Amino acid sequence: MPKVVACFKWVVDEAYIRKGGGGALDFSAVDYKLSEYDRNALEEATRCRGEGGTVTALTAGSPEAAKGLKDALSRGADTAVFASDPAFAALDSSQTAAVLAEVIRNRIPYDLIICGEGSGDQYAQQVGPRLAENLGIPCISYVQKLTVAAEGGRITAERRVEEGVEVVEASFPVLVTVLPEINIPRIPGVKDTLMAGKKPVVTVKNEELPPLGAAKLKTLAMTAARLERNCELFGTAPEDIARFVTALQQKGVSG
Amino acid sequence: MEFKLTEEQELIRKNMREFADKYVEPIAAEIDENSRHPAEVFKLLAEGDWMGIPIPGEYGGAGADYLTHILAVEELSRSCASTGFTVSIHVGIACMLVLLNGTEEQKKKYLTPMAKGEKLGAFVLTEPGAGTDVMAATTTAVLDGDAYVLNGTKTFTSNGPTGDFYMVFAWTDKAAGRKGMSCFIIPRGTPGMTPGEHFRKMGLRSSQTSEMVFKDCRVPKENLLGKEGAGLVMAMAGFDHGRVGIAAQSVGIIQAALDESIRYSKERVQFGNPISRNQAISWMIANMATELQAARFLTYHAAWLKDQKQGFSKEAAMAKLFASEAAMRHTIKAVQIHGGYGYCKGAKVERLFRDAKITEIYEGTSEAQRMVISGNVLR
Amino acid sequence: MAGIWIFAEKKELVLELLTPGGELAARQGGKLTIVVPEAEGDPADYFAAGADEVVLLSPLAEDVTLGAWLPVLAGEIRAADPEAVLLAATSRGKEIAARLAARLETGLASNCLSLAADADGTLVMERLAYGGAALQRVAVMGRPVMATIPPRTFPPAAAAAIPGREGSVRTLPPPPADTVRVVARKEKERSAQDITAAKTVVCVGRGLEKREDLELARQLAAALGGEIGCTRPISEELHWLPDNLCIGLSGVQVKPELYLGLGVSGQIQHLTGLRGARLICAVNRDPNAPIFLAADLGIIGDLYEVTPKLIEEVKKIRG
Repeated sequence: MPKVVACFKWVVDEAYIRKGGGGALDFSAVDYKLSEYDRNALEEATRCRGEGGTVTALTAGSPEAAKGLKDALSRGADTAVFASDPAFAALDSSQTAAVLAEVIRNRIPYDLIICGEGSGDQYAQQVGPRLAENLGIPCISYVQKLTVAAEGGRITAERRVEEGVEVVEASFPVLVTVLPEINIPRIPGVKDTLMAGKKPVVTVKNEELPPLGAAKLKTLAMTAARLERNCELFGTAPEDIARFVTALQQKGVSG
Repeated sequence: MEFKLTEEQELIRKNMREFADKYVEPIAAEIDENSRHPAEVFKLLAEGDWMGIPIPGEYGGAGADYLTHILAVEELSRSCASTGFTVSIHVGIACMLVLLNGTEEQKKKYLTPMAKGEKLGAFVLTEPGAGTDVMAATTTAVLDGDAYVLNGTKTFTSNGPTGDFYMVFAWTDKAAGRKGMSCFIIPRGTPGMTPGEHFRKMGLRSSQTSEMVFKDCRVPKENLLGKEGAGLVMAMAGFDHGRVGIAAQSVGIIQAALDESIRYSKERVQFGNPISRNQAISWMIANMATELQAARFLTYHAAWLKDQKQGFSKEAAMAKLFASEAAMRHTIKAVQIHGGYGYCKGAKVERLFRDAKITEIYEGTSEAQRMVISGNVLR
Repeated sequence: MAGIWIFAEKKELVLELLTPGGELAARQGGKLTIVVPEAEGDPADYFAAGADEVVLLSPLAEDVTLGAWLPVLAGEIRAADPEAVLLAATSRGKEIAARLAARLETGLASNCLSLAADADGTLVMERLAYGGAALQRVAVMGRPVMATIPPRTFPPAAAAAIPGREGSVRTLPPPPADTVRVVARKEKERSAQDITAAKTVVCVGRGLEKREDLELARQLAAALGGEIGCTRPISEELHWLPDNLCIGLSGVQVKPELYLGLGVSGQIQHLTGLRGARLICAVNRDPNAPIFLAADLGIIGDLYEVTPKLIEEVKKIRG
C-alpha cells in the first residue's frame, strides 16, 4: 500500500496575537502550533497508508520548528524529515515549494503527497499546487473525500468546487490538498506521544540543498485587520426600537 | 534547577486540554446537575491511554512518569473537577496500590485492566465512625479456610456505585494495632459486598460516592494485597500518591476560576468601565493568579520528587493542603467577582465553588495534612 | 509590454474581475484580455464591459478537468507577456493560479481584497492573514503579477457600458489529455436557504440559549425578507443549524444588504465572513462585545427582549 508524504507547517498560534499600538500587531507573547489544516493532512495520510504503507511527515522551517516534529509523529507518521535552517523562518510559497520538492525528489520515495488546503498563518493556498508542478505530478486540490484503490496504484478524490463536487481519479504519483472537512484529526493518546520521540527524524540543512531563490511575494506591511464602522447605539425602550427600525427603512433594508 | 516540562509532557498536557475542551467541558454542567457518571467519556479516556499514565507498559499503562499523570488530572479538573478526581483516585490510589504491593498474578489480573481503563478502581477505607481516626474502624476480615470473611460498613467510597475492583481495608488482627489491618482486592459482584445508594452531595456530584456494606463477604486468600497487617502502611503510601492528585485537581479548579474571573471582569461594565479596572477586583485576580502559581509548583515538585524516587510524603501533604485551601479561597472570590450571576446555575464558578470544598476534606482533611507536615517537620 | 489578462470559469466572475482589470488596463495602458470557457456567453458582452480580446476555451470532454488547460494557458501567457494576470479565487481558479505561477516562475497574491497600482505603478494587493486578524499588504516580485480575487469582492463591470464596442475573439482548441480523469460530477443541493444570495441575513450566536429559540430569529428574518445564518459554535459544536449556514472565515462569506447579529459577540473569524455587508447591525446585551466596533447600528439589550419588539415594529412599518 502507498508510501505517503504529509507536509506540515509550524505556525504562530493566532489566538496569542495581540493588538499593539497604532494598528500594529504584537507577536511578543505568541505560542506556536502545528497548522490546523495540516493535522487533517497527517490524519488523512495515516488513513490512506493501509497495510504495509508508510507515512513520512515533512516540514521546512527554522530550527525552532523542531518542536512540531514530535507532534506530527504522534499523529501516525512513521518518520519525519525536517529541512531546517534559520533562513527558512519566513519563506514564501514559491520558496517553500522549491525546498520541499528538492527534499522529496532526492530523499523520499513516494506515491501520494498530502497537503493541507492552506497554512494557518498566511493561508496562501499555493504550496500544494506549486509543489506538484515542481515535481511534475498531477495535483487535485480541495479534496473532501479520498480513497486509495483497493488494488493500489491510484486514488479517487472528491473535489469541492463551486457548483458541487467533482469526482476525479488519478494514478500515482499524485499530490492532493485536503479540506478540514475530510476527517476529524485524532487527539493523540499518551502512548502515541511517548512513541513519537522514538521515531526517526532526518534533518536536512540548507547547505545540502541548492541555493534558495528570491521570494516572489513580498510583504510590505502586516497590520491589525480593522473592521471599524461608526456604530450608532440604541437602547431597548420602545422609542429606540422605533428609531432603529426607521433607520433600517431609510437605508432600504427593512424588508 | 530546570523549571521546564519535557516536550512530551507539553504535548500530552495540550492533548488533555483539547480532549477536555471537546468532550468534558460541554457536559460538565449536565453531569453535575444529574449526578451522572459519564461512562462515554471514560471510554474515550481509556482509548487515549489516560487511565494508567504512570503504570508501566507491561501492565497496560502508558509507562510515563507521575508528573505527566498529574498534568492530565489538572487539565481534566479545569473542565470538570469530578472527572479529574475520578481519574486521580483510580490511578493514584487504586492502580498504584496494586503496582507497589501486588504479586505478578494480581498485577496481571487487576492492574492491567485498570490501567487500560477497562475496569475502574476504588479505595475503601473510611467508615461511618472512622474518618481521620482510621484506627477506629470496625470492619474485620477473618480467615476461614481458603478465604477471608469480611464484615462491616464503609462509607464515602468514591466510585462505590461504579467501581469494578475495590481495594478494601479491614482488621485481620485488631490487637496488633497499626500492624493489624490488611488490604483486599474485591471485584464487583462478589457476594456479600453491596454498594449503597449514591450520596447527594454539595459538589463533585458527577463522582459517584456511596456506602459499601460487607456482610459475610468471602474473599479468596489470593486476593490479599501485600502482607497481612501491612494495610495501614500501604494506605498511607497510597495517600501520598493520591494527595498529589488532589493538589492537581485543586490547581485545575483555581485555573478555571481564574479564567472565568478574567473573562467576566473584562466584559462586565459598571459605572462605565469594565470591573477589571477596579483595584478591588484586579487585586482579587492578582491574588488568585499568585496562589495558583504557588499551588502549581508545590504540586509539580511533589510529583517530581516521586519520579526521582525520593520520599515525598511531606511535600504531597503540603501541596494538597495549600492547593485545596487556595481552591476554596479563590472560588469564593470568583463567585464574588461574578456577583449575582456567579450565584446562579449556569455560571461555571457556581459549580467550582461547590466542587472546591471537598478538596479540603477528603484524602485527609486539612487538619490531617497539618498533622502529617508538623509530624515531619518537628521530628 | 503591457496588458492585463483575466481568467474565470463563469461569466459573472469575469465581469467582476473586469472592474479592477479595466481600471488597471486604463491606467497602465495595454490590452485587456479575458479567458473564459466558450459556454460562458457572447463575447460582445465582454467587449461592452471593457475587454479588448476574448479568448474562448473550447468545451472539454466530460472526463476532463479545467486544469487540463494549464500548459496551454502557460504558453499563451508567456507569449503575450502581460503585466498582470487576475483569476477568480474559486477552487479551480486558485489551483490553476498557483500552478501557473509555478510554471511562469512568478509570484501570486491569493484571496486579495483589494488591488491597486501605487504611485510608481507597482501593483499592491491587500489580503487577510492569521485567521483574519491581520491585513497583509503584498507586492509580487516577478512578471506577470498574479492575483486571485474572491467572488463578490468587486462589483461586476457594467456590462453594456459601451454597447457596440468591438474586439478580437479567438478560440483555443481542446488541450491534450490530462492525467486526472473526472469520473462523476455532483450538483450541490440548492438549499432553499442559500445565504450567499440572500439580501438580508439574521445571524444567531452564542447568546441564543436553546435550539427552540431559532424560531425567534426565523420570525425576524421572515419579517425582513431574509434568511438565517449562524456563527461557528452554533453549527460546529451545537449542531443547531447545518454547516452551510455558518458565516465566517471557515464557513460562508456573505455580502448582504443587511446583516443583523442576534447574540453574536463578533469574533474576528466570524466578522471576516460578513465584512462586505452594506449595513451591519447587532443586538447584544454586552456593551463591550467586539461586534459593536464593526457595526453600523447596535442595540445594547437582551435579544429575547429586543427581537419580539423588532419583529412587531418591522411588521408595522411594512404595513
